[in-house]
Formats: sequence, structure tokens, C-alpha cells
Amino acid sequence: MGVSALRKIGLFQITFLFLTVFITLVLLLAIASLITVPSWEDIRQNIWNPEMRFSLRLSLITGFISTVMVMIFALPIGYTLSRFNFWGKGLVKTIIDLPVAFPELVLGLCLLLVFGSDVLGGALKAVGLNFVFTKKGIVVAQFFTALPYAGRILKSTFDYINPRMEFVSRSLGYSMFETFLHISLPLAKNGILAATVISFARCIGTFGTVLILAGGSYMHTEVLPITLYLNISYGNMGMALTSGIVLMVVSFVAIFVFERTEVSL
Amino acid sequence: MSFLRIENLHINLGEFYLNDISLSIDRGDYLVIIGPTGAGKTILLESIIGFWPPDRGQIYLEGKDITNDLPEKRRIGIVYQDYALLPHFTVFKNIAYGLKKIEKPGRIREKVEEMAVSLHIDHLLHRKPTTLSGGEQQRVALGRSLIVEPKLLLMDEPFSALDPMTRRETRQLLQQAVKKKNTTVIHISHDLDETWSLANKAAVFKDGKLLQFGALNEVFTRPESRFVADFVGATILTGNVVDNGQDTCTIAFDGFSLKSTDEAQPGTQVNVALRPENIIVSKKNPEEISVQNVLKSKLEEIVNEGKTSFLFLKLHHTKLKVLVTNNAVEQLKIKEGDNLYVLIKSANVRIVKEILAQDK
Repeated sequence: MGVSALRKIGLFQITFLFLTVFITLVLLLAIASLITVPSWEDIRQNIWNPEMRFSLRLSLITGFISTVMVMIFALPIGYTLSRFNFWGKGLVKTIIDLPVAFPELVLGLCLLLVFGSDVLGGALKAVGLNFVFTKKGIVVAQFFTALPYAGRILKSTFDYINPRMEFVSRSLGYSMFETFLHISLPLAKNGILAATVISFARCIGTFGTVLILAGGSYMHTEVLPITLYLNISYGNMGMALTSGIVLMVVSFVAIFVFERTEVSL
Repeated sequence: MSFLRIENLHINLGEFYLNDISLSIDRGDYLVIIGPTGAGKTILLESIIGFWPPDRGQIYLEGKDITNDLPEKRRIGIVYQDYALLPHFTVFKNIAYGLKKIEKPGRIREKVEEMAVSLHIDHLLHRKPTTLSGGEQQRVALGRSLIVEPKLLLMDEPFSALDPMTRRETRQLLQQAVKKKNTTVIHISHDLDETWSLANKAAVFKDGKLLQFGALNEVFTRPESRFVADFVGATILTGNVVDNGQDTCTIAFDGFSLKSTDEAQPGTQVNVALRPENIIVSKKNPEEISVQNVLKSKLEEIVNEGKTSFLFLKLHHTKLKVLVTNNAVEQLKIKEGDNLYVLIKSANVRIVKEILAQDK
């Protein structure tokens, strides 16, 4: 029976199925070892460690602010890219999408150069906004890393909303802005939820960009990925593993919620 | 002064475009727009309502140039084939949506209920649109547009997604509602059946151009091009005028001739349009009959269209299409290969404008 069943499935299917399952198992093993290696007592102690508490608190605060900022910008950007045609639209799309493929370190370097420059950096400093090696810099780094993901999700969300609903709303006396509020936003609520959780997960997990722009200084600009990195270099595995677990939980929750929204990336 | 006047409208959206469209209709007119897919019919509606700014040309409503007005200021309603109901609102909120902008809050419930009763959807007001049938959804969409009493109502194939029974009901309800308020309507349709009982004017579009515009009857009985003739189901024959008598002229075709009440110069070549529903067939040669044109033909094919059938007849080398009920086919026991007499009143032999050579 087994042999005949195998014949029916065929070599092609078996190979592809095997590769898929194999990689999934390797990943699962890697994730499992993150949880199984440290003892629960270690994790409990590390969580209450002042460095970890500082890092967790800073991650949550910056992640929250960055996510709000990302959504404030990504909603109009996603809607613009979905609905309006204008000269240079292709270029705008490419530039906004670029950070998806950009190495985080390079993005951080670019941001450091522009915000550290005399022109823009100097002007911002004059109004009290210094983004280089500061906590504010963490928000900027997270913002630019997460923005393209939210922008893409929201664009595809608005693409799926029948523009005729908006046309009908306008024919019934509602302005473009009122139509956006009454029709487009409520209909995009799944996409907005998806974009928010993915943005938050990206913000919390951003390492390279934060390291370069905000610096990875102990108990100053130290967010969870920085804690992981710093403690690995000191050889303090317990702390590194704990921040790893916290980051993993955040991303699991984000992906779980994202999958429920049935939105495409 | 015409109610709606479109002058030299040009618009290019890449895939779809309109080229130099001019037409005007009066208050209370019901204009049906027909044409194949991609002819630019929807673009026309959406530029009248103001969603697409034209590249050139003007649109006047009640004598006022509205070309640059915002859609929300025009008071033009639109009903789409896919209804475009708001899925996050109940039926009540969908219908009340436009009313909220112009009516006192205390009057909204009463007016929505009144509209719902007239469209037989008063029992659905608390439901969400996605739980309704196609016909119910379309009535909600109609109610939503009509309740704000638009100056002009635009409809983009409103019945094409409905089954024949529902279509008939919805059409009747639409007809009542439109008559009551004397609403001016522009209605895109690909189904000629549904337009007969509603429209008084017709426009035929193809490839972004307006091929013919006029009274419905004119367009259907006197198509100005072979394309329009094909589209409205008329047969076009080309013949020579041999005689122009007192009441009728005689036109000779390949092996037969027809009398027409239209005037024509003897010696000229003309095209005549024959409508399939205006031709009568008889198994026996009818004698002592008022019909001027009685011709012998051979039945080549019967095509059943549901309630009616098309008979394809051959007169010498000329093919002719005749519309009859299936009852008639049964009663007469006609079958392919039979000889049939064709009866055409001379008033139904309509001489049409010259058909352009490049028109296929």
C-alpha cells in the first residue's frame, strides 16, 4: 500500500515536500533551542535585571512612537500609490520600497550622513531635534526601516477596495476627505491592523539601522536587539537569550495577528 | 435650452478614451447608451459625474458649465452593475448615506422607509448588503441614488448581473421611480430588450466615438452604419431605386424588389434597414392583403432564443432575419427547408443614410 501511494504522489512532489518540511524543521529546532537552552529561573532573573528592564522599556516606548509615526505616514502614502496617478510615481514607489531590500546597516549609514550633516542635521538641531546617537534617533531608524512594509500592505489593501464605492460616496455629496474617512478607512481596517502589527514587530526588531544612527550605547540607546548584541559580545549568554526570546514572542504575535487579517504583503 | 449638453469631449485614460463626443438631452429624457466592451461608455458616465477631468471639451447641466465642478457639487447619481454598496453599513445606512448631507436628521428615517417601501426592500433595512440577493442589492443601490433626488441619474449596466425575472421586476420599479420624479436618466446597456420599454433616446458608441445618436426609434429603424445596424439587430440591404411613385418608391435588389414609403431619387443606390420584428412570414401566399411587399423565400435556419426564435431566410442570394415567437414556430409547424412568404409593410422598409465604405 505504501509503495503504491508513493507512486501516486510522484518523485517531484516528494522532493519538493521534503525540502519544505526539512527547512521548517531546521527553523523549528533553532527556535526551540532558544527556549530550551536557558533555564526558566535564568530568564526570570534576567528579565528583572536593570539593563533588561531599561532595554525592554525603551524598546516598547520607541516601538510604539515609531509605529504611530509609520501609520501616520503610511496611510496617505499607501492611498496615494493606490489611487492617484502622477508624474514620477514609479520612482516614488521604488524609493519608498528600497529599504525592504537595503541592508539595515547601509540605511543607518545613509540616515547618519543626512541627519549628521550641517544642512538638514543642523537645521533640525536648531529646533531641538538631534537624531544622531540619541533616543530620538532610535525612532527615526525604526521609522524608516518599518515604513516600506506598512506602505506596501496599505497600498495593496486600498487596491482591493472597489474605487466605485468612493465614486458613489462623492456623487452623494461627500468630499474626497470625507469619503476617505467614511468609506476607505473603515473598509481598510484589516489592512491597517496588519500594517500596524508588522510595523511594530519591525520597529522592535530593527538592529543595524539603530546601531549606526543611534549608536549602541549601554543603558542609553539600548533597545532589545542591542542588548542581545552587547551581551553576546560580553559573553553573557543568559541576557542575550532572554532578549532573543522577548523579540521572538513579539514577532510570533505579530505574524499570528497578520495571518488572521488575510492581507497580502 | 437642453438639460445636459456635452460639447467636443475628449478624454484619454490610456486603455479607455473618448474622442470628440457631443450630444445633448432634455429634462425627463431617458437615454440608452449601447456599444461593445471598451467603447468608452463607462468613461462617459464617469466624466459626466466628474471623476475624470476631460482633456478638452465642456459639459453643461441646466445651462451651467460644470466641467470643472467637483463631483460632490453636481448632484448626479450613479448606479453600477456591481452595486458598489458599502459593506460595513446596513441597508438603512446605505440608503440614508447621501440623505444625511441634505436632510434634517429627524426626517431621515421616514424618507428612507418611504423609499424602501416603494422599492419593496423595507423588510431588509437592518441587513448587511452582503447577505442580500443581486436583485435586492440593486434595489438598495437604486434607492440610495434616488433618495437624494439627483438632477441626473447615470446607470452602468444596472441589470446585467440579474436573472431575467428579477430583471423585469427591477426594471418596473425603476420605471415607476423615474416617472414619478421625471428624473433624467442615462443608462448603459448591452441588452437591447431591456431598453425598449424604458428609453426614448439612444446613442451607439464604438472605440471611443459616438457613431449615432437620436430618438430610440430612429436609431433602431434607421441605423446610419452597418456596425450600428448589426448592433441593434437590423438587416441592411443595398439596392437601386428604379421608380419613385406617388406614395412609395421601388427599390430593386438581387432578384427581387421592395416598396418603401421613404422618398428616393430614381437611379441612385440606397441602403434600406429592415427590423427582424417588423417582418411577417406566412406558409401560404396571402392574397388580397394590404402589405405591399410579399416575397417568396426559403427557410435556412431556426435559432431558438428562449421565448422567441430567429428565422434565417434566403431570398435568391440575400439573407434576411425574422423574429417570431416560439408559439408561432409551433403553430405553423415550420421547419428548416420550408418555403415561406415574407410580408413587409412598405413603411417598414426604411431608407438609411449612406453607409460609409470603411465601416465594416
